[in-house]
Amino acid sequence: MILRIAWKNFIGQGMRAVLNTLVTALTLIAVVFNISMYNGFQGQVTRNMVRTDVAGGHYRMKDFDILSPTQWEDYTFTVPDKIRDAPPNERAEVLVLQGQIFPKRRLFPVQLRGIAMDQSLIDLPLDKLRELGPEIGEKVAVVIGQKMADKAHLNVGDTVVMKWRDKYGVVDARDAFVADVVPIINPRIDDGLIWLRLDHLRQLTSRPNEVSWVAVNGDRGPIESLEFLSQEELMQDILNLIEHDRRYSKIMWVILIFLAGIGVFNTQILNIFKRQKEIGTLMALGMTPRQLVRLFTLEGSLAALVSVTVALVLGTLIFSWFQSVGLDISHLRETSIPVNERILLEIRPLEVLWSTVVIVSIMILVSWIPVRKISRLDPTLALRGKGIT
Amino acid sequence: MNTPLIKIDRVVKVYRVGSENFTALHDISLEINDGAFMSFVGPSGSGKTTLLNLVGGLDQPTSGEIFFKNSSLAKMSREKLAFYRRENIGFIFQTFNLLQVYSVYENILFPLLLNGDKEPAVRDQVMNLVEKVGLLTQVKKRPSELSGGQCQRVAIARALVKNPSLVLADEPTANLDAENSFHILELMRDLNRQFHAAFIFSTHDEKVTRYVNREVGLDDGRITWDKRRNGAGEFE
Repeated sequence: MILRIAWKNFIGQGMRAVLNTLVTALTLIAVVFNISMYNGFQGQVTRNMVRTDVAGGHYRMKDFDILSPTQWEDYTFTVPDKIRDAPPNERAEVLVLQGQIFPKRRLFPVQLRGIAMDQSLIDLPLDKLRELGPEIGEKVAVVIGQKMADKAHLNVGDTVVMKWRDKYGVVDARDAFVADVVPIINPRIDDGLIWLRLDHLRQLTSRPNEVSWVAVNGDRGPIESLEFLSQEELMQDILNLIEHDRRYSKIMWVILIFLAGIGVFNTQILNIFKRQKEIGTLMALGMTPRQLVRLFTLEGSLAALVSVTVALVLGTLIFSWFQSVGLDISHLRETSIPVNERILLEIRPLEVLWSTVVIVSIMILVSWIPVRKISRLDPTLALRGKGIT
Repeated sequence: MNTPLIKIDRVVKVYRVGSENFTALHDISLEINDGAFMSFVGPSGSGKTTLLNLVGGLDQPTSGEIFFKNSSLAKMSREKLAFYRRENIGFIFQTFNLLQVYSVYENILFPLLLNGDKEPAVRDQVMNLVEKVGLLTQVKKRPSELSGGQCQRVAIARALVKNPSLVLADEPTANLDAENSFHILELMRDLNRQFHAAFIFSTHDEKVTRYVNREVGLDDGRITWDKRRNGAGEFE
């Protein structure tokens, strides 16, 4: 019975109910949108890093640090049998060494990165290198990313002097020609990198069978003198960055819910104030204070539930449209964050459910708080509209 | 001797107005029987509405006691007073106090739903009353679509639908013109006869005097007269 009355009263509020519902629904949509956007961002970053560099983790020498180029030549190793026997779609051998190029007579320190051509674990657009044989021609064929090409002012077909040091410390140099300039989604393996065939780099540096790390599809257990770094460890810096941003998004989340809560609280206060005479009449008709509190709380709860339904319909429309256009983040190409030009939402049902439960609970709570006054209301004053001043 | 429906025993009601105490009722004692059709008469501020509110369990006396069929209202909690009103009292207000979001039918149905009745089971009961108060053609309308007289008819039907022992009507004709007042009073007298519910009005409308069987005069919170009609229909 109370539910029926509450529904009638809720509908009877007209424009107030519509606005209240809309504010709550938009809050829920904004909260889910915000969370899903971060999910989309994080998802895209991690997927791109995994696809182009990290795979399922790396086996490397203990204490190897990619940020310390002077160490690189001291931290190479011969691929152990346990990994070498893995099929090409489960391992990718990589050798990184310091080098220099001299485009337009400028000195440009680079990372020479050789990658096995038979691997299919890491997805890189290095087809031009694959087309070449293991023999190095007159010039060393290299592929660079678009970012690197822009910085070094290099184009496809350009020749540039490339210098490096071999295993024995002998400095050597040869002409390198740019076989291809490719878009690489991950700026970390574009900016400052020269891609070579692994067999070419090994020949040039007299390091047969050596690698700096082997990317694998998953942990293969302990291997003597090597350590396994998981995806999380390899992406820790960027995951920390996103997590840091997520904290700000949580503050936004709290502010949004707080504002919506204030809105509902305000409406409820106004409701009680404006409907004192009705409350007095309901008391005279025999409604108990407890029933009245339940009635008004139920009205607030119904508003929250209707808001969820509206949010579901409106959210589906808004999110469907958004997924067709995405959020343009092409400006982030200049950073080291591996993202596409557009971010799409990644909606996780559990997070939507959790946000909905939190919002509905808060709405019910803020509906109930002002309603408690009713239980102490004097019916004779309420009937005259003077119970709450 | 029969138990009175209502017994008001030495009731005093004092209100706090700012820093002053205002005594609205001074030592009022009265007995009201089943099926009474009576009024509290007096000027504004004489204590009529206060007395009705006390009898209806909407307010509590400062001292003295009110008994309903020998049960003291003073001993009832807020919850129990709500049940007392729900089961025994029908209220009619000067400003009708209808629930604006409900239709005529739903307004009259409301007290029955509150009593735990299911709508299909009491539909006929509600429609009978709608017919008795002459609102069959208005049954789906909302209060905002009705005239003052029609609203008061809805309020009367709402007060009577649960067959209460007592109907308390606070200035029921104050917002009505002469013709509507006449119809409403006629209607209430007929219903008093049909339903055997006691009716108590608070009024300063002299028209009401012509209909009631007993008239209690109040002035400054004190009973100034208590007249009943004799067999010849005259007050004595």
